[in-house]
Amino acid sequence: MIDISGLISTIMNNSVNIPLLYVIYEFLLKIPVLGGIVAFLLDFSILGMPVVKSIIGFVLWKPFFTLIIIPGFATLGTMLLVLPWLERKLVGRMQWRVGPREIEPYTRGSIQLLADTFRFLFQEVIIHKDAHKHYFLQFPFLYFIPVLLPLLFINAGAAGHPLVPIQTDYALQIMIALVSLMPVFIIGAAWAANNRFSFIGAVREAFMYFAYEIPFIIAVLAMIVLYGTSNTAEVISGVNQSSWLNWGIILNPFAALTFFIAMAMATSRLPFDIPEADQEVAFGPFVEYTGIVFGLAYIMAYEKAYVLAAIMTMLFFGGGSGPVIPYLGELSYGIWFVVKTLIILLVLVNLRGVYPRYRIDQALSIGWGAMLTLALFALVWSVVVVVVIGVII
Amino acid sequence: MKKVGTPEYDLSDKLKYHVSALSTAAKEMALPLNITTHYPRERKRQPDCFRGYMLFDPERCISCFQCSFVCPANAIWMKDAPSGRYYPTVDYGKCIFCHFCIDSCPGGALRTTKIHDVAYKTMDEMFTSTEEMIEPPEIIREDVGVVDYVIDKEDLSLKRTKEKDELIVDVEPSQGVPMVSVCVDRGSCLACKVCDMICESGAVSSVVDEAAMTVKMAIDAEKCTGCGLCVKECSMQILRLVRK
Repeated sequence: MIDISGLISTIMNNSVNIPLLYVIYEFLLKIPVLGGIVAFLLDFSILGMPVVKSIIGFVLWKPFFTLIIIPGFATLGTMLLVLPWLERKLVGRMQWRVGPREIEPYTRGSIQLLADTFRFLFQEVIIHKDAHKHYFLQFPFLYFIPVLLPLLFINAGAAGHPLVPIQTDYALQIMIALVSLMPVFIIGAAWAANNRFSFIGAVREAFMYFAYEIPFIIAVLAMIVLYGTSNTAEVISGVNQSSWLNWGIILNPFAALTFFIAMAMATSRLPFDIPEADQEVAFGPFVEYTGIVFGLAYIMAYEKAYVLAAIMTMLFFGGGSGPVIPYLGELSYGIWFVVKTLIILLVLVNLRGVYPRYRIDQALSIGWGAMLTLALFALVWSVVVVVVIGVII
Repeated sequence: MKKVGTPEYDLSDKLKYHVSALSTAAKEMALPLNITTHYPRERKRQPDCFRGYMLFDPERCISCFQCSFVCPANAIWMKDAPSGRYYPTVDYGKCIFCHFCIDSCPGGALRTTKIHDVAYKTMDEMFTSTEEMIEPPEIIREDVGVVDYVIDKEDLSLKRTKEKDELIVDVEPSQGVPMVSVCVDRGSCLACKVCDMICESGAVSSVVDEAAMTVKMAIDAEKCTGCGLCVKECSMQILRLVRK
């Protein structure tokens, strides 16, 4: 026999506290007919287990809430729907264009990506004769593993209120390892496509991979040294990030700059969209993909950007810390986290309205030269800051 | 010798240019200098002399073939009408909208409109007959506003007004200079009667003198429209167009 009351109390003790829900509940109870229905629904129980209450409690249960809602799949999905539209709209404004508009003109073409998704869904998936059929189809889907697993370790909370599905002392290391795994699948997909453009794209991807990976890892390492921990729950509260003066970007701006450039390289955004250069190699590794598989490939760069922007928010922008919004309780941390992540993503995607593309030799020289130097300097700077803070406090 | 190379920038210059580029982008993102006209919903106000779709008025046409002669794209062909006159037809597959035909028309029979959005389903439809040129084509108007481009100081800006622009302009057609055809060298006339055959208005007449075995051609200045066809076709090139 399952101990239902024990289970419920376990869930209730570890749930996201949102006072607004109680306010809404009490307001609903005052309405004559609707209040009765709400009261009946909440008291309705099967085998001594209140059904609706349990469902609400389960949704608000922290492990579920963090994985599915903030900062998990729901946030990721919303970002994927909103971000390409915002990018096209803002870059359009920069270049004196209009951007997507004709689909739903009253909201300025906001459901453009939904329409694109439908188009991708109903398009034929063509597998050409030269492709290695099984690998060709499997790699874009396998790519989801390293893209989605880092969501388990993203902390959207503030100091003392972690909103993270799994707390572990190796969270940052695991995330970096998974992020580093992504180019392998891209290269695999390009190899399976067996096309000259995708081959060139794969080689370029490999070059870029080595150019950004080492500075990227050293930049994160600098922040681990600074905070003295790699647990994402403790990183937020590590140097009391509730005050913006203690944010990582203030303590170590060099690591932040390195991380941001590495992020642009890792997600193949302009000015580093060398592997996917549309005008030269026609979307590089994904040149042969059609239909929904191409849609996946197109959207994957944004997913990777979300994961990296979330890491950047945690490491450099104080996670979910910010002014507490009344009545929202712990949800306000999540909202601040999403807002910060969105701002970072917008800066990242709008780089393509500003910079032209670097040549591959220039990008490699940036990666192995300036960025590596900057990353090593950031590491030394971190050690100095830790020593200075240790002496002062 | 001066050598031209890539400019050398030090770190502070580079930082300055990066900041400048990013701040420009941010400024344009907030307040873009957008000059796009949302075409089906609004139209750009065109000048009255806009070179668009052409209309034709057969009452004014003197069948002088000038439009057909002047057309650089060879888009205008003259077709004979039941009345015995020749009227122009335009092949819009060839027309380059230079409107030399309108400029050269002595009677003002051809005139321009502001219609610039005409669609055809086939290439054959683009060959517009005279009957189709008399009435303006059917237009589905979706526009609710007119856009004016205003140049203030340096920047181009848009001025939007809620009104419908009239596409059929009422420009007074050019009256032209009244011309008449005269023979300048009667002694050289062969009496081949080409001028008589080609004249649309019946201004050329011939008088046969049986005794002297000669034929005398005469041009009636009242009837002559000054189309100049006889001047072009005269085999001895002794006809001239002069002012009436």
